[in-house]
Amino acid sequence: MDLTGGFGARSGGGGGGGGPYREPIGLESLHLGDEFRQLVTTTTTTLLPPDNAAGSFTALLELPPTQAVELLHFTDSSSSSQAAAGIGGGDIIITPSPPPPPLHSFGGGTTLTFPSNSALMERAARFSVIATEQQNNNGNNNNNETPTSSVPSNSSDRVKTEPPETDSAMENQSLCPNQTNRSGKRKDFDKKVKSSTKKNKSSEETEKLPYVHVRARRGQATDSHSLAERARREKINARMKLLQELVPGCDKIQGTALVLDEIINHVQSLQRQVEMLSMRLAAVNPRIDFNLDTILASENGSLMDGSFSGTAMQLAWPHQAIETEQSFHHRQLQPPPPPPPQQWPFDGLNQPVWGREEDQTHGNDHSNLMAVSENVMVGSANLHPNQVKMEL
Amino acid sequence: MVNSNLFPSIEATGGESSTESRRKKPRISETEAEIEARRINEESLKRWKTNRVQQIYASKLVEALRRVRQRSTNEPDKVVSVAAREIRETADRVLAASAKGTTRWSRAILASRVRAKLKKHKKAAKKSAGNCKSRKAAATETNRIKLPAVDRKLKFLGRLVPGCRKVSVPNLLDEATDYIAALEMQVRAMEALAELLTAAAPRTTLTGP
Repeated sequence: MDLTGGFGARSGGGGGGGGPYREPIGLESLHLGDEFRQLVTTTTTTLLPPDNAAGSFTALLELPPTQAVELLHFTDSSSSSQAAAGIGGGDIIITPSPPPPPLHSFGGGTTLTFPSNSALMERAARFSVIATEQQNNNGNNNNNETPTSSVPSNSSDRVKTEPPETDSAMENQSLCPNQTNRSGKRKDFDKKVKSSTKKNKSSEETEKLPYVHVRARRGQATDSHSLAERARREKINARMKLLQELVPGCDKIQGTALVLDEIINHVQSLQRQVEMLSMRLAAVNPRIDFNLDTILASENGSLMDGSFSGTAMQLAWPHQAIETEQSFHHRQLQPPPPPPPQQWPFDGLNQPVWGREEDQTHGNDHSNLMAVSENVMVGSANLHPNQVKMEL
Repeated sequence: MVNSNLFPSIEATGGESSTESRRKKPRISETEAEIEARRINEESLKRWKTNRVQQIYASKLVEALRRVRQRSTNEPDKVVSVAAREIRETADRVLAASAKGTTRWSRAILASRVRAKLKKHKKAAKKSAGNCKSRKAAATETNRIKLPAVDRKLKFLGRLVPGCRKVSVPNLLDEATDYIAALEMQVRAMEALAELLTAAAPRTTLTGP
């Protein structure tokens, strides 16, 4: 590979070689410096990961972090042996001796569970997806999100496919010691579309858990702040889309501000329409006095269900309503029914008014009203149970 | 250099929109946020869209209006505008009542009447509320010249929807969705009722301004 030549050249060059490789480890790695130089020298001489088919730059990426991580593990001999086995694929020999003391300080300086987590992920990158089950057994105490986010964000795509599986599995298994990190969200990493099965599985898991789960898509930053931002944005955008569908004419518009303009205009126009209609009703009111429910009751016999609950409001009204309904049914929209009898117990004020107008209005209007209001007004019997509650 | 090519993910921190546009539409179902929002929206639409709901509202409105009418028949005939205001308030209250208390705006409408009654008894026309408003407005003016446009509009929307001034943005959008659906139903019902009443009284001489 041509890059190995580059490696060699850089390592040979000395200090400059450590530069580009500081970034992959993340923010904490700023004081790597010398250790990295040593790492590079050791690794380039011994390592040539054979299974680097993904692309030459992945070799660049995977090598130094991997090695740094592996070397960090020397406190934990078990993991180091696992790491050795994992990384090896057979051929790779790690020379543990030189860097441990400075790296200890490095490991101490960084976040708590950073080494083991990254080790897991690097290992996962090597193996297939199935191998993630092994890792679940290994690294159970590291549900810290920041290290997971800092390392993979710098890693290659292949590395990134693994953490989702790892994380989702891990969060199911272990009790998280850092509850504060899981205050509202768990972050998972998204997979490419081709690995849809894994996605379905983790989506199932997320539905069971009581948090809102957010997925970081490929190529996006994965620190907790931006993930929280993204979750918030997604919620807002989802609701905006629904509002767009509700408000006519918003589909074509691009941009939140204009859509909001349209929404505001729509709400204002609706409120103005209500004002207009209430003015119309007020104008109509003085004469009719809202005693037309009798008319309505007679028309809407077909719409009425038989559920009259005789409240004390109008005693004889249910009676009359039923009668008119029956008569209505009999006649079936034929010549208007006889005017409702006068003994309907309206209050005294309204009754004379009604009596005056009844004969005039009833004859002409029944047909009109029936045609118009067929679909609109329900049997007023439904009102009775609710009348008592309504007035405040 | 090498960095920029090797670590595109770092560069793309702020480029969420570009990433999304590049990414093809997932074949899998929507994100959880969309599912949740869609559920809310479907609920509210189903609540306010059906014919039956409209009919129930219309009849309830008739009853309420009649009761208001009965109450105020003692007084001399009011100006149309005053009567219109009463009718509108009644209609809003009936609408809020039919929401059955699940939404914030409905609760605010129902509560505002009680509050208005208390205020009427306690202070005559001091309009301390007016002073507060002007003071607050002045304060915000001095604090920042202009909020970003979207935020301004969201605030305005919060003022339009009753009882939603200090509500979080996603909740505000939910409330607005439900409120718009309810308003549309109200308009349809009142329209039909007005048609009905004007048709029922063709010979009435409208006593208006």
